[in-house]
Amino acid sequence: MKTVADLELAYLPMEEPSFASDPWPHFSAARQTHPWLAQCAFGYVVHQYEAVKDLMWMDDRMRPAQDMIATIMGADDASPWGRMVVRGIAALTGDDHIRLRNIVTPLFTPKQAKLNQQLMRDVMTRLLDEWAPKGAFDFEEFISYFPIAVVCGMIGAPAGEIGRMRHSLETLGLQFSMNPEILPELQTATVEIDEFGQQVVADRRAGKVPEIGGELLDVLLKATGEGGMSERELYDLLIFLFAAGYDTSKNMMTWIMHNLLDKPDMYQRCAEDFSYCQKVVEESFRYQSVANAFRLTSEDIEYQDTLIPAGTMLFFPLSVLGRDPEAFPDADTYNPERVHENRHMGFGRGRHLCLGQFIARAQIAEGMHLIAQRLKNPKRAGDMSWRPFFGVWGLNGLPIEFEDAA
Amino acid sequence: MPQATYITHDGEQFGVEIENGVNLMQAALDNNVSGILGDCGGGCACATCHVFVDDAWFERTGGPSELESDLLEGVLDLRETSRLSCQIAMSDELDGIVVHLPESQI
Repeated sequence: MKTVADLELAYLPMEEPSFASDPWPHFSAARQTHPWLAQCAFGYVVHQYEAVKDLMWMDDRMRPAQDMIATIMGADDASPWGRMVVRGIAALTGDDHIRLRNIVTPLFTPKQAKLNQQLMRDVMTRLLDEWAPKGAFDFEEFISYFPIAVVCGMIGAPAGEIGRMRHSLETLGLQFSMNPEILPELQTATVEIDEFGQQVVADRRAGKVPEIGGELLDVLLKATGEGGMSERELYDLLIFLFAAGYDTSKNMMTWIMHNLLDKPDMYQRCAEDFSYCQKVVEESFRYQSVANAFRLTSEDIEYQDTLIPAGTMLFFPLSVLGRDPEAFPDADTYNPERVHENRHMGFGRGRHLCLGQFIARAQIAEGMHLIAQRLKNPKRAGDMSWRPFFGVWGLNGLPIEFEDAA
Repeated sequence: MPQATYITHDGEQFGVEIENGVNLMQAALDNNVSGILGDCGGGCACATCHVFVDDAWFERTGGPSELESDLLEGVLDLRETSRLSCQIAMSDELDGIVVHLPESQI
């Protein structure tokens, strides 16, 4: 049996801006060299849908690699960002992970997504009333106020503070981009979001009633009071929720808009038909999503006659797996009416499956449905660029112009 | 060893031996039963291991927990006997259980 180090593998230059702007030829070439594995600067890349499906389910034999990322970034785990990322819910394993997961999972179910649909519509309607009269704006900036406002509503945090925190949230959105140069900014951003979360907690404990919502924080405070988690875990969980609630849905919606700019008929149908809009969201996740994942093997794994030794860093490019031609016939064709034999893995797989997937699906569909009703005949109005592929990928800015339907 | 039978929406049957304590989602994946995804690995967090417990067995499995019910609100074809198979652990009492699989988990 060969070990991964013995294999002839393609190298994926995932750290390069040119890769982020057009990764598709690289993955096609990688498939020609090896059916499921390639290399990158920090380890190995599992690029085949079926292999990712199999390997990401092996939670007992690998773990999230946040500590490795922190080491690459040069972060001490006693520093604000180092602590938050290494000891946060996304990095935990075993009983500690189950303990926190059991507290938060009930807050992010399909039922909760339904209960928060009106909040999502209210937030988007308010945003459109404020922004649509401009006739032109950077869609990414506009949409950056949407998912985080929904999270703030669920927590009962003042959404008026989002503008002030936006720079820090943007910085945390790059936390897994494998760029050590941004570490000082990550530390500052973590402290700012931490202070915000601590203030929200202090206000709630002092009896201040939020303008809207807030049930999510009530549940977390109850769990903390009952010893289910520590104060520090509570604050780090809030940082996680603010950060996760900000950039993944924002980047996904920016990409969906970018894609629909070239498909005016589909865009119009999104305005008229919510169930079609939901199909557009699912197909968009398949065609190209934003989050990528990583794991560190904690023991030797034998897979497909290949030995993956313990201590191997594995990257799972979830954002591109929907274009694997073995898993999705005619994979490069964007078709919302596609019959899905396989489901995209945009939200991951295994015990660290994205907690917010039902909220994300609901708010993206609700949001795009209302956007398509209000922003008519949208067109590109400027240049755009791409965020780093490592971590949370996506467009960096999307200037558009449109007619306000109000 | 206790047994379970999984019946797909188009009638294909999978008979599987399952150790006590192992849940029906895990056993399905271990035995290549088609139609169960189990995306979250059994954490009762994703609702992709949906089954309809056969009427004759539903009294013995019982209904879903509150969290399981909240997750089941996301499935395509919710019925009175719907359960998430990751939440049904095999036991001597369930030896012979029959579950039916929905047409799709997604």
